[in-house]
Amino acid sequence: MDNNLIASSSPHLRSKQTISSVMLDVLIALLPATLASIWFFRFSAVKLIVLAVVTAVVTEIICQKAMKRPVTVKDLSAVVTGLLLAFNIPASAPWWIPVVGSAFAIIIVKQLFGGLGHNFMNPALGARAMLLASWPVIMTNWVSPGADAVSTATPLAILSGEAADGTLPPLSDLLLGNIGGSLGETSAILLILGGIYLLYRGVINWRIPLAYIGTVAVLTLAFGVGFNDMLYHLFAGGLMLGAFYMATDYSSSPVTSLGQIIFAVGCGLLTVVIRLKGGYPEGVSYSILLMNLAAPLIDKYTRPKVFGEVKQSA
Amino acid sequence: MGIFKQFKNGLINENPVFVQLLGMCPTLAVTTTVIDGMGMGLATTAVMLGSNVVVSLLRKVIPNKIRIPAYVVVIATFVTLIGMFLHAFSLDLYRSLGLFIPLIIVNCLILGRAESFASKNKPLISFVDGLGMGLGFTWALMVLGAVREILGAGSVFGIQLFGEAFKPAIIMILPPGAFLALGVLVAIFNWIKLRRVKNV
Amino acid sequence: MREVIKLGLILLLITSVAAIVLGLTNSVTEDVIQEVEAEASKEARLEALPQADSFKQIDEDIFSKIKEENSKVVEVYVGYSGEEVVGYAIKTATPGYGANIEVITGISVDNQLTGMKVGSHQETPGLGANATKAEFQNQYKDKSTDEEIVVVKTPPSKDNEIQALTGATISSNAVTDGVNIAREIYNSILAE
Repeated sequence: MDNNLIASSSPHLRSKQTISSVMLDVLIALLPATLASIWFFRFSAVKLIVLAVVTAVVTEIICQKAMKRPVTVKDLSAVVTGLLLAFNIPASAPWWIPVVGSAFAIIIVKQLFGGLGHNFMNPALGARAMLLASWPVIMTNWVSPGADAVSTATPLAILSGEAADGTLPPLSDLLLGNIGGSLGETSAILLILGGIYLLYRGVINWRIPLAYIGTVAVLTLAFGVGFNDMLYHLFAGGLMLGAFYMATDYSSSPVTSLGQIIFAVGCGLLTVVIRLKGGYPEGVSYSILLMNLAAPLIDKYTRPKVFGEVKQSA
Repeated sequence: MGIFKQFKNGLINENPVFVQLLGMCPTLAVTTTVIDGMGMGLATTAVMLGSNVVVSLLRKVIPNKIRIPAYVVVIATFVTLIGMFLHAFSLDLYRSLGLFIPLIIVNCLILGRAESFASKNKPLISFVDGLGMGLGFTWALMVLGAVREILGAGSVFGIQLFGEAFKPAIIMILPPGAFLALGVLVAIFNWIKLRRVKNV
Repeated sequence: MREVIKLGLILLLITSVAAIVLGLTNSVTEDVIQEVEAEASKEARLEALPQADSFKQIDEDIFSKIKEENSKVVEVYVGYSGEEVVGYAIKTATPGYGANIEVITGISVDNQLTGMKVGSHQETPGLGANATKAEFQNQYKDKSTDEEIVVVKTPPSKDNEIQALTGATISSNAVTDGVNIAREIYNSILAE
């Protein structure tokens, strides 16, 4: 989306046309990665994705009816939230995980704060953090792709030394998605493909993804991680998913150009610190959530001082 | 205001937790189980009964200029007393409430009642006010504790309610769960109150 | 000026009364508190070393020697059955996921671990806090003190292995560290 569209607080709230077309673009961009996860994880992926999306949509309808607000389910934003949440769940999760997660994302994170455009953090990520804190064992029970879901470790867990007995898969498997991990965070190349589509359609701009991924690349090298392992940090885990689809969420990221770059660099810094120095092997979701909270502050300090002083282009 | 009305005032109409949102630190911190919520609530009630009566008795003796330090001394004395008794006679509760017993001293609910009510009213009505507010605080903490214990540990009063199939949401007994549960409960409480106002 | 003195005196009066009340209560509760605390810690030691019927704190000299060898040891008690020494209850504090985890390890004089009890800790409920459950603690029972105890993620195949708590490797390791420290202390100092 161009800056003239996101420069004010929430113009996309008023025009249904824009929201649904933007959301449709996001869905199109996520389609290859969705198909890949179904290819890799078979029926369990289908089940989790359908449950997450259906629950998100149904909860949104019930919620808006109960609050006597116009039902805006046609804007597809609930579908996107459900799909992104499903992408954050491991394939081995039982059926009620996406149901509870989607309901939490829509009711608590989204509708109670005023619906689309008013949520202060990304609903899918908020729900993921809740699920991870509530059922840590289920949410980190990774299985390898294929019909015979064997328990496995994620490449990042192997890198951090948490899973001592694992061996790193080849980088090509990482790019294709033939690795253990959440449903949607396995195939880096398809996620990048979708991201490029979103950039091409103008749904997102380059600042957040590029600054985020760039920061992670530079900092992992600076922290003394080798070049090869740096590539693993980029392509394994949720970095691509987070950088292209989650950190770019309109209502929970800054609106100014400088702000977006600060936001993305902050995400990258936190991700690297959590991954390399923290207790968790993966830190994308927490770092985006933390920066979501800082977004209003960033906006406040990066607002152009004189009206019309700076003309920025995407 | 009559004695009964004063009692009901603290219990429901001006419930310290759900309406006044006072004393949030113990409310959020110790309500991981019903028992802990009840223990904290009753300890606070006991302190408030003592401090309300004493402050009310001394209301003409204590000069206005030093009233706050005087109230704090009175409250701190009662808190320390309660702490000693709990430690001596209820070790388990003392351990699970831990640091939050001395922190009752800075519970703004108690100082608030001393300042806004007991210092202006007679001992009996101040006692009733303390009882209403204290029990209002207690039941609110117990409800919060029950919600968190059921969802976060699958039990009430330590008794397991569900079979193996129920996987408790651990977040509910962690700090974020306190905020989530309190927010939803306050919303429900306000909703009920609003409906009653409309119907009348 | 006179007002300040007057206010000060009133405040002094209030605090004096408070101090007297507290002092009196303290004299009543002090002994009771010490008794229940002693009872509670004895019970914890008894769970680790069920053979004993009384405990005595170990000799100062030996304890300072133990402290020198490993500063993570907090307390060492000698367990008696009647007059006879039956074993030791060793309390250690090792860093866990939240804060230090207190572990009391019981070792009998015939080189066996008689039990383990997790005391105060700040591990995550539902994960690391499961270390206080009997199923986990009983794993340490009847192990020999000769071999280092090792944490594994799968059901143990060897005698000196215990299974980690699901999703709480750090807590499991911390607890096991505590037991291993107690074991080493026993082997190097207490057994002689």
